[in-house]
Amino acid sequence: MTYELANSSDFPAEKRRAKGIAPMKAFRQFAAWHTIAPPLVFFAMLLVVGIFNPNYLGPFGISIVAATAAPILLVAVGQAMVLNIGSIDLSNAAISMLGAILLALWVPQLGVAGILGVLVLMTLVGALNGFVLAHTQVPSFALTLGTLGILQTAALVISDSQTIYLTQNRELVTAFYNTSLAFVPLTFWIGVLVAVAYWVLLRFTVVGQNMTAVGKNESGAILSAVPHRRIKTITFAVSGFTGAVAGLCIVAQGGSASASGLGSNLLLPGIAAALVGGTSISGGLTNPLNVIFGALTVAFVPIAIQALGFSAQAQSLVYGIFIILVVALTTTRTRGLVIK
Amino acid sequence: MQSILSRSIKGPIGLIVSILVLIVIFSILNPRFGSIENLQNVLYQASVPLIVVVGATLVIQMGSIDLSVEGVMGASGMAWILLSPNTRHALDLGPWAWVIAIGLGLGLGLLSGLVHAKLKVPSFVVTLGTWYVGLGIAILLYGNGMLPSLTSEALARWPSRLSLGLPNSFWLAAVVILGGILASNYTGFGRGVLAVGNNETIARGGGMAVDRIKIAAFTVAGCLSGLAGILATMQLGSGSPDIGFGQLFTVIPAAVIAGTALGGGEGGVLRSILGVFLLIILNNGLVLAGVDPDFQSGVFGAILIVAIVAVAWPTRGALKVAK
Repeated sequence: MTYELANSSDFPAEKRRAKGIAPMKAFRQFAAWHTIAPPLVFFAMLLVVGIFNPNYLGPFGISIVAATAAPILLVAVGQAMVLNIGSIDLSNAAISMLGAILLALWVPQLGVAGILGVLVLMTLVGALNGFVLAHTQVPSFALTLGTLGILQTAALVISDSQTIYLTQNRELVTAFYNTSLAFVPLTFWIGVLVAVAYWVLLRFTVVGQNMTAVGKNESGAILSAVPHRRIKTITFAVSGFTGAVAGLCIVAQGGSASASGLGSNLLLPGIAAALVGGTSISGGLTNPLNVIFGALTVAFVPIAIQALGFSAQAQSLVYGIFIILVVALTTTRTRGLVIK
Repeated sequence: MQSILSRSIKGPIGLIVSILVLIVIFSILNPRFGSIENLQNVLYQASVPLIVVVGATLVIQMGSIDLSVEGVMGASGMAWILLSPNTRHALDLGPWAWVIAIGLGLGLGLLSGLVHAKLKVPSFVVTLGTWYVGLGIAILLYGNGMLPSLTSEALARWPSRLSLGLPNSFWLAAVVILGGILASNYTGFGRGVLAVGNNETIARGGGMAVDRIKIAAFTVAGCLSGLAGILATMQLGSGSPDIGFGQLFTVIPAAVIAGTALGGGEGGVLRSILGVFLLIILNNGLVLAGVDPDFQSGVFGAILIVAIVAVAWPTRGALKVAK
C-alpha cells in the first residue's frame, strides 16, 4: 500500500518543509489566522476580565473554569474529529450522559472493570453509528439525531429517571476531580491529554491523514482508495470513546449521574467549542489543540459576563452574538466556495 | 392545482401509507384514538410545528439549516405576551403586539440570512448563534418579574375554539401552509430556493440573485417561527422563554422523514406537512396506547433511522457522498 507516500506529498505544508522554503513563509503558514485565533480570543477575554475584575483570575477562578471546561472539552474534541471528516455527531453528548449513568451503576460493584466496560461499550456505540453511516450512506445529521433519541430513552429507562449516586468505590472516580495539578483538576488534564493524542493521530498517522482526506474531498479520497468506510467507523468510535471519558468527568465532578442533571446539555456547548476552536463545519480542518482553547472560551464566557457586570440574564444573548462573531472572524473564505 | 395534487401523490405514497397504518394500529389499541375530539386534539397539537415546518422546509431545501427556531419562538412569544393584556402590566397594543412580535422574528431571521449570505458563515453556526440570541432576548424580556399570563379570555380561548369543526390554531396553520405551497410552487423565490439547493454554483452562474434568495428564505423562516411562538404562547396562556422547547427536534426529523434531503434541492412543503402529521400522530397514539413517555424519544429516533435508511437505500453507490 502506498498511503504514506501519497499522503506525505499531498499536504502543502509537508512539501514546503521538504524543499526548505524560507522560515518566514513557514511561519506565516503556521500562523494562519484560523490557527492563532482560538488562543488569541481566549487570552483577549482573559485580559479584559483581568483588567476589569482581577479577582476572577486567582487560583480558585482558574480551577472553576477548568472544571467546567473539562466535559465540554472532551465532547468538543470528539465532535471536532467527526467534523473533520465532514460529518457531525449529534449523539455524542447523549453517549456521555448514558456513559455517566452506566458508570454510576457499574463502578460500585465492578470497580475499575466497570470504568473499562463503559469505555468499551460506548466506543462500540460510536462505532455502530459510524458503521451504519458508512454502509447505508445516510446524512450523519439525521442518523445521529435518531441515535440521540434512542440513547436518551436508554438513559431514562436504565436510570429509571432517578439520580444515581456512587455508593461504593466513590473515590475511584471522584479522585479525578478532587486531585489537582497546578490548581486545575485532573479531569481537565485528561481532556488535554486526549486532545494531544488526537492531534498526534491526525498529524502523524495514516489513519489520521486519511480522516482529513475524507473531510477535504470525499470523492477524491474514495477514488484514491482511502478506506473511507473504515475511516468513518473509526472516527465515530473515537467520538464515542471521548464521549464516555466525558461521562467519567461528569460522574467525577458530581459523584452522581442522572438523565437530566449535570452534563445533560453538553451537545451545543460541545459543537460551539469545536467551532470557536477553529474547526470547520464543512470538514477537513481541525486542530484538537485549538479546541482546548475553544472549550476554555466557551466555559469562560458565562464567567466573563458576570465579571464584567452584565446580569446573568444577558448570558444567552452575549453567548449567541459571541459565537457568530468568533466564527465570522475565523471562518475560511475561499472564492467560489459554496457555503451551506 | 392538479399539478400540486399529482406531484404530492406520486412522491410520498409510502408516507401516506405509514400514516394510515399508524391510524389503524392506534385505533385498535385504543378506540378513543379515532374519536372526533382526539382528531381535533391532534390538529391542535400539530398547528405549531406545522407553521414552523413551512419555513424550515424552505431553508432545508436550499441545503442550509435553521437551528434558531426555538430561540426565535421564545423571543417573539415573550414580546407578544408582554404587549398583550397580561398579568404584568396594563399595556395592550392589540394588533401592534402581533406586528412587533413577528417583526422581532423577521429581524432575527434577517440577521441569520445576512450573516450567512454576506459574511459566508455556515448556516449551522449562524443559526446556532441566533438561537442563543433569541433565547437571550426572551430571558431579558422575562426579567425577574412574575410569570406573565394572558388576562384576556378571548385571546386565551381563541386557539382551541372551533370554527367549522376545526380548532382555530389549525386554521391559522392551514393559511400558512397554503401560502407556503403557493410561494414554493408558483413564485420565482420558491423555485429559486430549489435551484440554490440543487446546485448553487450553477444557480449563481445562471444569474440568479442567490444571496437575495438565501436572505429571503431565512427571513421568511424567522417570521414563521415568530408566528409559531405567538400561537404556542396563546395555547399555553402564559409566557415562557422555553416556549419552543422540543420544536426543533420535531420539525427537522419531520422534514427529513418526508424526503426533504438535508443536502438540499429536494422535497417540498406539502411533504414536510405529512412528516409533521406522522410524528404528531405517533406521539398522540403512543400516549393513548399507554406507552411510557420515556420511550417516546427512542421510538422517534428509531423511526427516523429506519425512514432515512429506507429512503437512502436505493441510491447507494460506491462513489456516493452523503454528508
